[in-house]
Amino acid sequence: MSAPPLQPQEELPTARHPFAEAWEMFRRNHAAMVALVVLTLIVLTAIFGPYIYKTDPFDMVWAPFSPPGVDGFLLGTDYLGRDLLAALIHGARVSILIGLAAALMSVFIGVTVGALAGFYRGWVEEVLMRVTEFFQVLPTLLFSMVIVALFGASLPMITFAIGIVSWTAVARITRSEFLRIRELEYVTASRASGAKNGTLMFKIILPNALPPIIVQAALMVGSAILFEAGLSFLGLTDPNVVSWGQVIGSNRQYILDASYTVTIPGIAIFITVLAISLVGDGLNDALNPKLRQR
Amino acid sequence: MSDTAQKDVLLNVENLTVRFAVKKGGLFGQPKYLYAVDDISFEIKRGETLAIVGESGSGKTTAALAVARLVNAYKGRVDLDGTDFLTLEDEDLRQARAKMQFIFQDPYSSLNPRVRAEKIVREPLDNLDAVPEAERQGIVDKLFEAVGLHPEQQRLFPHQFSGGQRQRIGIARALSTQPELIICDEPVSALDVAVQAQILNLLRKLQADFGLTYLFISHDLGVVQHMCDSIAVMYMGKVVEYADRLSLFNNPLHPYTVALLSAVPSVDKKRRADTKRILIPGDPPDPLALPEGCRFANRCPVAQDRCKTQQPSLKTVATGHKVACHLVDETAVSPLR
Amino acid sequence: MTAPLLKVENLRIELTTRDGVAPVIDDLSFELGAGESISFVGESGCGKSMTALGIMGLLPDKIGRIASGSIAFEGEELSTASEKRLREIRGNDISMIFQEPMTSLNPVYTVGEQIAEVLRAHQGLSKSAAWASAVELLDAVRIPNAQRRVSDYPFQMSGGQRQRVMIAIALACEPKILIADEPTTALDVTVQAQIFDLLNDLKRQTGTAIIMITHDMGAVAEMAQRMIVMYAGRNAEQGPVDQIIDRPRHPYTKGLISCVPHIMATLTDERHELTEVAGIVPSLREFGKNQCLFASRCAMVTQECLDNRPPEIEFEAGQKSACWHAGTV
Repeated sequence: MSAPPLQPQEELPTARHPFAEAWEMFRRNHAAMVALVVLTLIVLTAIFGPYIYKTDPFDMVWAPFSPPGVDGFLLGTDYLGRDLLAALIHGARVSILIGLAAALMSVFIGVTVGALAGFYRGWVEEVLMRVTEFFQVLPTLLFSMVIVALFGASLPMITFAIGIVSWTAVARITRSEFLRIRELEYVTASRASGAKNGTLMFKIILPNALPPIIVQAALMVGSAILFEAGLSFLGLTDPNVVSWGQVIGSNRQYILDASYTVTIPGIAIFITVLAISLVGDGLNDALNPKLRQR
Repeated sequence: MSDTAQKDVLLNVENLTVRFAVKKGGLFGQPKYLYAVDDISFEIKRGETLAIVGESGSGKTTAALAVARLVNAYKGRVDLDGTDFLTLEDEDLRQARAKMQFIFQDPYSSLNPRVRAEKIVREPLDNLDAVPEAERQGIVDKLFEAVGLHPEQQRLFPHQFSGGQRQRIGIARALSTQPELIICDEPVSALDVAVQAQILNLLRKLQADFGLTYLFISHDLGVVQHMCDSIAVMYMGKVVEYADRLSLFNNPLHPYTVALLSAVPSVDKKRRADTKRILIPGDPPDPLALPEGCRFANRCPVAQDRCKTQQPSLKTVATGHKVACHLVDETAVSPLR
Repeated sequence: MTAPLLKVENLRIELTTRDGVAPVIDDLSFELGAGESISFVGESGCGKSMTALGIMGLLPDKIGRIASGSIAFEGEELSTASEKRLREIRGNDISMIFQEPMTSLNPVYTVGEQIAEVLRAHQGLSKSAAWASAVELLDAVRIPNAQRRVSDYPFQMSGGQRQRVMIAIALACEPKILIADEPTTALDVTVQAQIFDLLNDLKRQTGTAIIMITHDMGAVAEMAQRMIVMYAGRNAEQGPVDQIIDRPRHPYTKGLISCVPHIMATLTDERHELTEVAGIVPSLREFGKNQCLFASRCAMVTQECLDNRPPEIEFEAGQKSACWHAGTV
């Protein structure tokens, strides 16, 4: 049988990847686009800033409590006379790195647990979901404080402490997506054509479950940055590394005398987290096929 | 036809039963079982088509899925070309799947939305490793042509196709491993009427070209009449009538079959005038609390006392014609006549 | 001759899409007399349901609108009527049942409450009177044990029973027109037969005119006296059902009839290949072009079909076909 001749008006659509369409949708969301630009700037600053603005954030470069804009220091100096702009630029790296690493870790744990539970069902699901619930009911801040206090305040340990308490949301989302998708006919079709379990889980179901996971991961970067700031504020941080939260934490006693020392890194955190949330929101709209028709 | 007798049996299903545990009665309570498919048997000769017909809840789709080992059978045998499909395990099962492929009902959910058409058709080949990698693209090209799709369309994603074209992709995928048996689960019921004809014609053409054997699941008696060589009518998990095409449509015996046939609206004025519509009132019984007698008794217009207490067995009443009804005997006359 | 109950003239309904404005109903005219039944037939995307929504004044807000033409119900113009007036008419004089009985009932109220609600809103019945009528209506749509079933929730009923409840709600105010949009597509054939039987009986008893929207020629043959075959928003053919089935005058109608394997009175060994209607319904972008929109799928296509929209050609008994080759189909 030969193919019917193409109708003149029936031009062949171009082969566009679903992600290309998602980008199209994302671009229409102005708030998310602005946020994406801001976020890109912040990330670029974090990567290249330290090479351009070389002042060491730990150096005492001037008199303490010099307000922003005075004496040539754009954002002023803190209680030890350290340059706040330098702290902000160098701290961006650590804050964002911890945010990313912790989010990555929780995605990794969460997806693994959720995928196994949602795919195999039965006792595997029972056990894994009970474990998830256990982590869910732990008081998160307290638990991560205990970890950091016990095992030392190194960056990897802080990342681990944040990651270990925040993967449960990903696990739940992944599981529910797996439960839904595994019943769809194309999964059955793959099974009928002899796909192995690993193929089914990671090559067939997971890519289709990704959109909500990506959104959740984006939001988690923001909350991990906040979490790190919270820990640093309480002094649970590596004193040899500067991060935004650590700047706030170390200046907290002077909040009334020199409020800018706390406010400025606070604003940096606020803008970053807000930008990440807006991007996450944009992703949610773009990746949600139900909204695509609008 | 003279060669009918020589055709060998490709698929032989015996006493297939599928049950689902529905409710656990507390921690130690006895689970309750729903028998979706209850002790059914049928066979298909090579190159022929058997249809399983029934309404929703009859168990026809579950039976098909169980034959393909896509749901677990509770007991029974599924002999495909001499090997019992139900006893195969792991790697053997995976490789054996090449011989039995499935075409799904819903062309919208049966194709992975993130994968290009060519990859969807190729997937069974990639999964089973029976064909060297270098030859796979050639097979895909041939299949696209066989089902009437353009080579340029290989690079497209499922949402860029119409419903009928998607079903063609599904058919190409099912053909890729050169299966002997293809199970078609309501392959056209989600399509527009004009497109249904395209797909049905394609399926018949492919059957003739490649000598395929079909197990065809459908609720649409018109389609079944057009497509099949023999038909099994299911009601509440049981086969109530099993016959070749002409016997079943020209002399339906089980009251349910008669009612089902009479319910199909027809454009044929003569048929509308000739056929008395037999309305079967009420609804099927609760599948968790099945009656001990005939499952159709509560809706049957001619039910007698024994129908309510004794379950009829499927017995042969004429050559190639089996019925499960107390009121049909060797004279092969429907009690509704 | 009395004025028809419903008279639709040169109706044009436009839908705003991303690609611009498309006429989903393009120059449609038909009449419906009291107690008559008429059927709209066609594939999905042909504008069958849009006609129903247009008559009901339920076009999607801001996206769809009646661009021109008129819908006159008992002489009253509906296309320009106020929302308030339309609300009075909906349910009271014209009511509608939908394809999906699973989702068109509210799951948190009993079926009795849902029927009674309609009666109280439209007819101002008291609570107890409405409830008593609800029981009667359930009985009328042949739900056994109506007295008891009236307090059931939708999930406690089967698909067929839910569709009966929908019919009871639609008939609660004794409407003059009942629009049924694919009422049995989601149901089994034996249940479909029950519903058709019920609708026919109700029509006889109450004199309600029925507009049925369907894709199934068999259903049309059983249920309607006249039919309108829609294609791409346009009327392809209309006229008496039996006459059209015997002698379709539009290649699309012919295709729709012969592409379905119908059950035959006596079956023989031979099997014809089904007639295919190649291709699919054109996309909304194509709607409204000055040509025959079926041309791309038609076996009889000539240059004329591509150049100009075909006029409606009339045959005996009001059969009309919009095809350049209507005489030779």
